[in-house]
Amino acid sequence: MTCEEFQRVLPELGSGHGIGQEEHLKSCRGCSNLVADLNTISREARVLQGSEEPSPWVWKSIEVALRQEGLIQPQLSHSRTPTLVLDWRLRWLVPLAATLLIVFGALIYQRGTGQPQTAQQQPPPAGVVTANLQATEAMGGEDLQLLETVGERMPSMRDTYEADLRSVNAYIRDAEQSAHSDPNDEVAQQYLQNAYEQKAMVYEMALDRSLP
Amino acid sequence: MQRATSYVVMLIVVSAAFAAAQTTHQELHFKVGRRASVSIVNQYGAISVKPGPGKVVAVTAILYSGKVEVDQSKSRRRVAVFSHLLEGADAQTGRVDYEVLVPADASVTLHSTTGPLHVEKLHGDMMVEGSTASVDVRDVSAGHIHIKTLNGPVTVTNVSDGLVEITSVGGDVALNAVNGSLVHVNSSSGKIHYDGDFGDGGDYSLTTHSGDIEAIAPAYASIEVVARSVQGTVEKDFPLQPEHTSFVPRAGSAFAGTMGEAASSVKLLSFSGKIHLKKR
Amino acid sequence: MTDAKKQQGDRLSEAEAIDRAKQGDAAAFEALYNLHKRRVYSLCLRMTANTAAAEDLTQEAFLQLFRKIGTFRGESAFSTWLHRMAVNVVLMQLRKKSLPVVPLEENMETEEESPRKEPGADDPRLAGSVDRMQLQRSIAALPPGYRMIFLLHDVEGYEHNEIAEMVGCSIGNSKSQLHKARMKLREILKTSRAEKATKP
Repeated sequence: MTCEEFQRVLPELGSGHGIGQEEHLKSCRGCSNLVADLNTISREARVLQGSEEPSPWVWKSIEVALRQEGLIQPQLSHSRTPTLVLDWRLRWLVPLAATLLIVFGALIYQRGTGQPQTAQQQPPPAGVVTANLQATEAMGGEDLQLLETVGERMPSMRDTYEADLRSVNAYIRDAEQSAHSDPNDEVAQQYLQNAYEQKAMVYEMALDRSLP
Repeated sequence: MQRATSYVVMLIVVSAAFAAAQTTHQELHFKVGRRASVSIVNQYGAISVKPGPGKVVAVTAILYSGKVEVDQSKSRRRVAVFSHLLEGADAQTGRVDYEVLVPADASVTLHSTTGPLHVEKLHGDMMVEGSTASVDVRDVSAGHIHIKTLNGPVTVTNVSDGLVEITSVGGDVALNAVNGSLVHVNSSSGKIHYDGDFGDGGDYSLTTHSGDIEAIAPAYASIEVVARSVQGTVEKDFPLQPEHTSFVPRAGSAFAGTMGEAASSVKLLSFSGKIHLKKR
Repeated sequence: MTDAKKQQGDRLSEAEAIDRAKQGDAAAFEALYNLHKRRVYSLCLRMTANTAAAEDLTQEAFLQLFRKIGTFRGESAFSTWLHRMAVNVVLMQLRKKSLPVVPLEENMETEEESPRKEPGADDPRLAGSVDRMQLQRSIAALPPGYRMIFLLHDVEGYEHNEIAEMVGCSIGNSKSQLHKARMKLREILKTSRAEKATKP
């Protein structure tokens, strides 16, 4: 067997060699060195598995997302002394996330079952669907708790967060009404998704401020 | 009179000197490898990031009082610098201004409540987050730009080959010469202004709740465009070919059609704001 | 989470953690994350060569996993399931950025990429063990297609039939790309050593 023949089949050999290949390796230093080096590289590469560690923020982001999506149930969490004051305050995110998911899920479900637009169904008159940002938006308990947290940690930002929550709640309300009036309207669904993203961002930014 | 003026001048000079004496400078240098990751977390104060020579991250911090410290952490490829507020610190005493030089291919993450935040001439990924901070990103290419703000104005200028995602509650967003495979702006009450080519065969989506949208494009723009406002008005300066007459909006005002070869997809959506597609 | 809680989470066996995570137990999610985070993150980092992107992909992979954890029935190892998800997330990201995953044809690479070897020529050995840092740098210098196959096979331990299924190539192509990746690494490592030896 020549070196050329040997190296042509080398990709297929894996860890085993046939008799012909073994004979060639015994007599050819060049190919023998090559195989030894390739085996060394392969062996050393395995050490690299799992050798890097992500920053702590990765888990924090995952945890926030899990809570927002309602995948973490607060009643099964073990009691703990938080290293971050943040932790015990996150519990109120769960009912909020659950509420948002239920509403959004109901809208998607309606769309999925293809509830037909009957001749009697009309889109709501324009006056019903308003975008009056100045109107006082009723704040849910979770929003009030968020504002309380913000007020304790960053008093100067409390008014900003309150105004933004009102703006985003108005967005959600209008988007929900629009999506509800026409579940098949993809643009209305897009508005609703955008509105929820805005709300999630406001919560995320308020909580992230507690990070060093 | 002259004496009074002299006293006033002296008072100003002494006050300035006193204020300067309160601030301290701190310099940090880190050697990094290729595609380093740099994070600056700063509650109060400006952050400016520019490219610097070599594989070095150079941080100059101006601390405005003794009630704030600058902490740092470094792993092989990641550098993190934090402003650490001590007890009693507020927006004035807790302020730190950062000037940062990074390798041009570095990934950058910036957090500041008050800002302003400025990034220029990089081509790594960036995540910029500010509450009321103004955000200014310019002359970047080929990276993923992610900007989040509550009410700070956002300006992005001269971006090519990028992925740009901006979420703003009340801050106005201005995009000038921004092209990429994906440009998404999601605003609640902030206005969106786009002035560019809608190039690169990208997916452009500018959506607001109540903010107005103004998009300025050249006559040679190659786009497929959909514009819709549930309660506001929509306007266009271009004839669209072919006009999608079969496109029926469920509610509100709308237009849809193509220009040129329809290389890029453009969505202009506002719930109650005005939408205007203008010709440059 | 406090150290005590973290330790408690770590003491959970993987099976217990999976069961508890299905019921929404925060500590169980974190335990599963801590068990597997290094491997997933290392894979993402080596494939993207960008820490921010790697962290985003790590987050996405775990989120996809946790969202589907209710459907996990134990037919395969949990780590295998997670790892496949991570690989898919990375591949989707690379495809979204139009980065080449694997050349479709074996002869697509350029002359610069394809390591040349004259059969029969005297070929000194890469003496001694391979420096880990140097190996990491060398892997990062590989063309993306070679790097992908090398990471999946030699670092992560996938078989060629699994790699072929994941990246959408033939088994023969996977073997060929792996061989070329190793040859290229050998060349890079030798060049680097030679340069070091000549430096004052």
